[in-house]
Amino acid sequence: MAAALTSQLHALVNNMFATGLLDDQFQQLQMLQDFSAPDFVSEVVTLFCDDGERIIGELARELDKPNVDFDRVDSFAHQLKGSSASVGAQKVKNTCIQFREFCQQRSRDGCLKTLDLVRTEFYDLRNKFQAMLQLEQQIQACYPKH
Amino acid sequence: MGAAAVRVLVVDDSPVDRRVVELLLRTHCGGGGGAAPFHVTAVDSGKKAMELLGLEGQRRKQMCPSATAAAAADANEQAIDIVLTDYCMPEMTGYDLLKAIKALGSPNPIPVVVMSSENEPQRISRCLTAGAEDFILKPLKINDVQRLRECSGARPKAATTDDDDDRCNTVSSSRKKLPSDHTAKKVATAEQKTSPLAGLAMVINASSFEVSHYFQLLFKFILIAYAVLCLSQLLHRWSNGSFLSLWCA
Repeated sequence: MAAALTSQLHALVNNMFATGLLDDQFQQLQMLQDFSAPDFVSEVVTLFCDDGERIIGELARELDKPNVDFDRVDSFAHQLKGSSASVGAQKVKNTCIQFREFCQQRSRDGCLKTLDLVRTEFYDLRNKFQAMLQLEQQIQACYPKH
Repeated sequence: MGAAAVRVLVVDDSPVDRRVVELLLRTHCGGGGGAAPFHVTAVDSGKKAMELLGLEGQRRKQMCPSATAAAAADANEQAIDIVLTDYCMPEMTGYDLLKAIKALGSPNPIPVVVMSSENEPQRISRCLTAGAEDFILKPLKINDVQRLRECSGARPKAATTDDDDDRCNTVSSSRKKLPSDHTAKKVATAEQKTSPLAGLAMVINASSFEVSHYFQLLFKFILIAYAVLCLSQLLHRWSNGSFLSLWCA
């Protein structure tokens, strides 16, 4: 049972790397996880998902205003780009870079289109992270602590 | 019992980045067995960092009001050994925080390392000129932990003498290594701080591949052009001299 779950987990993570959702920064985080910090990755991933959702909400609110403050929008995009880079969320990070370019151009349409893309990619990543964490919990449950 | 903990103040408005750095420092001391662990305090703004640093100093002075004790308290005034701050933060940027810390006027100023996700040579140069010990590109990696240790280790906790020369000798000695793509070194001896060539070298080393490649190419082109000019002059004079010596034999 544990072997099957482990295999499933590896396939999921490998697929996330293969499709460009994740980059080697995520591998760095995985390497940091050891007996002294067994929940390192899950903690960081959970924080990213929560913070990412908050930022996307702020972006949508800002772009919904009649007079868009592009500096503020750029600041939020920068935050999301930063946290994406820190967890290795490559696709989201790259889309945030595009987002910032539209902010520099003061293009509301460009920002709105890119926001949709960021949202889609973020939720895709979040779903996969959640599946990953669930599999890890199930695997840990197969090895009860003594 | 290992070495005393290195007390790091991490300043970053991003909760994800704060946590990553915090966990990175706590779980990976970077110095192998016996290396001092990191004791991490994380805050989300430059203002809170200044409050923490300022309050700590005031608190210790209040605890030790006597003249003799105040001198001892001054040595331990800052309960932080190193500040690791993000550059881009609202209201008070990492650069503002860096300048504010350096302006505290302490005889033993706290080392400040700036981190940023943007690899801009001007930003890097600005921070190093303002007194940052180092500039690290985000996201932080495991090998950045050791670099942070070197910057903090240059400032002894109970020092009462002027340690400016020692402050980053470890950094300057490690400058002999090949520069990392992700970091910029500050050559922090007094002579090197004032040397414009050292500053230029720092900026060149700290730049991204694309920008540093451009500057390096330009610099090399100028050097080569000058060398060719000198050589041609030398050959011209030599050949004239040789001909003269041949004909005058």
